[in-house]
Amino acid sequence: MTWYKNKGNEGDIVLSTRVRLARNLEDYPFPIRLSTQEKMNISLLVRDSLEDYDSKKLSFIDMSTLSPAKAVSLAEKHLISPEFAYEGAGRALLLSEDEDVSIMLCEEDHIRIQVILPGLNPEEAFNEADKIDSIIENKLNYAFNERIGYLTQCPTNLGTGMRASVMLHLPALSKKGAMRRLSTTVAKLGLTLRGSYGEGSEISGDIYQLSNQVTLGISEKAALQNLTSIALQIVSQEKQARAAVIKDEDFVDKIYRSWGILRSAYKLTSNELTNLISYVRMGASEGIIDIPTEKLTEMFIENQPATINVAEGKTLSQSERDILRAEKVRKELN
Amino acid sequence: MLCQNCKKNEATTHIKRVLNGEATESHLCSNCAQSLGVGNFFDDFSLNMPDIFSGFFGDSVFALENGRLDRCEKCGCQFDDIIKTGCVGCADCYEKFYSKLLPSIQRIHGKANHAGKVPKHTKEKVKPKEKTTEEKIADLQKDMQKAIDEQNFEQAAIIRDEIKKMKGEN
Ligand SMILES: [Zn+2]
Ligand SMILES: [Zn+2]
Repeated sequence: MTWYKNKGNEGDIVLSTRVRLARNLEDYPFPIRLSTQEKMNISLLVRDSLEDYDSKKLSFIDMSTLSPAKAVSLAEKHLISPEFAYEGAGRALLLSEDEDVSIMLCEEDHIRIQVILPGLNPEEAFNEADKIDSIIENKLNYAFNERIGYLTQCPTNLGTGMRASVMLHLPALSKKGAMRRLSTTVAKLGLTLRGSYGEGSEISGDIYQLSNQVTLGISEKAALQNLTSIALQIVSQEKQARAAVIKDEDFVDKIYRSWGILRSAYKLTSNELTNLISYVRMGASEGIIDIPTEKLTEMFIENQPATINVAEGKTLSQSERDILRAEKVRKELN
Repeated sequence: MLCQNCKKNEATTHIKRVLNGEATESHLCSNCAQSLGVGNFFDDFSLNMPDIFSGFFGDSVFALENGRLDRCEKCGCQFDDIIKTGCVGCADCYEKFYSKLLPSIQRIHGKANHAGKVPKHTKEKVKPKEKTTEEKIADLQKDMQKAIDEQNFEQAAIIRDEIKKMKGEN
C-alpha cells in the first residue's frame, strides 16, 4: 500500500503514518566511529539476519552505488532521511517493492527500521516494524541497558528508540492562523508539530508533521496512543475549520483558480505546484472539485525535482523541469 | 560561518535537507533553527542537533572539569568527544560515562527509566540474577561515592534521594 498512491483512514487530512525504530548492535561502535568498510560489514550482517522475514521482499541497495538523483528522490518520498541521501559511503538500504518498509543501515544508528502507511494507521505500522525488529533480535545482539533502554548514538533517542509520526494536511487551520497555538499546545503533551518548509521560512503546501518527542520512560503503546488521540483532535479541528472556510467566497475562488492554473499552466515550479495542490486537495475533500484526493497526493510526490529527473532518466534544467511538470499535470487533469 | 537565513548571527546548527532536487546542508543560527521549526522538517530523528545537545552539557561544569580525558576502552571515545559531537561512541560509553551523561539524559527526557520493549537476549540474561534491594542500595552507595569523588554533587544528591526512597520502601 504505497502511502502516496492510496487513501487510508482520515485520508483527506492524514496523508501518512510512519513508525521508525532506532537500533544498534552491542558488539560494534556506533556509526560515527566506524570506517566505510566496517559500516558495510554491519549492513550485510543485518541483511542476512532478515532472511526469515517473509511478509515482503526486501531489496538491498548499496547507497554508494546510487545516483544522487535516485537517493534524493527516495528522500522526497520520505523513504529515507535527507542525511542518508547526502552521504552514501558504507550505507545501505533495505527497501520493499511497495515502499512501505525501508530499513536504513548505518545512518546515525546501525539500524533504523521504517514503516510508512497511508492515512492514520499507527497500530499496523508499529506491528510491522516490531515484527522486523523481533526477527533481527533473534539473530543479533542489540545494545540495550535496563535503565535507559535501547542505546542510540544520540541520547535523544534512548529508551524505545521509537519515533512515530503522522503527516497532516491542514490548510484551513493554517488559514485561520491557528498553527502556532496548536504547536505550543502539543509540545506540552510531549509531541512536536512542525511544518514542511520550502526555500524560505514559508510553510509550503500546508503540510505538517506531528511526532512523539520523548522516547525514554514511556512505552511504545502509550506513545502511540498519545499520538493517535492528539492526531484525531487536530483532524476534528481541521474539519470544523474547513466547514467554516468554504463559506468564505474569496477562499472558494482561490480553490477554483488553483484548479484552473493546474489545468492550463505552461510552467510550474515545485513550490507553486505544492501550494496549488493544497487548495485543490482541500476543495476535493469538501466536494467542490471532483477528483480523488490520493491522486493529488501522488501528483505532488511524483513531481518533485529529483523524482522527475529519475523518471526521465536524465538531469533536466530547472526550466525544462518546470515545463515538463506542467505538461504532466495538464495531461493528468484534462 | 554566518547563518544562511538571517545572515547576521553565527551559524551553530547544521542540518541536512532536501531542496530543489538536491540534498544540501543548511547552516543556521539557533534562533533561525528554532523559528524554522528546529531540525530536519521531515526527519523526525533529527531533533537531535549536536550543538543543541552539547548545550545540555554546558552547565554541568563538574562533568566537564573532571575526567574529560577519560577514555572508553572499547571504542577509544573520550567524554570530550561526546560533548563536541553530541554523539556517543558505543554501548560501553554509556556504562563508562553513565553518571556524567545521566543529568543530560534526564533533562532531555524528563525521566530516566526505560518503559517498553526489552530485547530477547537481554531478557534471558537479566532475569536469573535479579538483585535484592540490599544489593541495589549497595550499588547506589558506590555510585554516590563515585559522584562525590568527582565532585558531581548534583548527581550525588539525586542518588542519595533514590537510596532514601528504597530504604523507605523496605
Ligand atoms: Zn539566523
Ligand atoms: Zn565507547
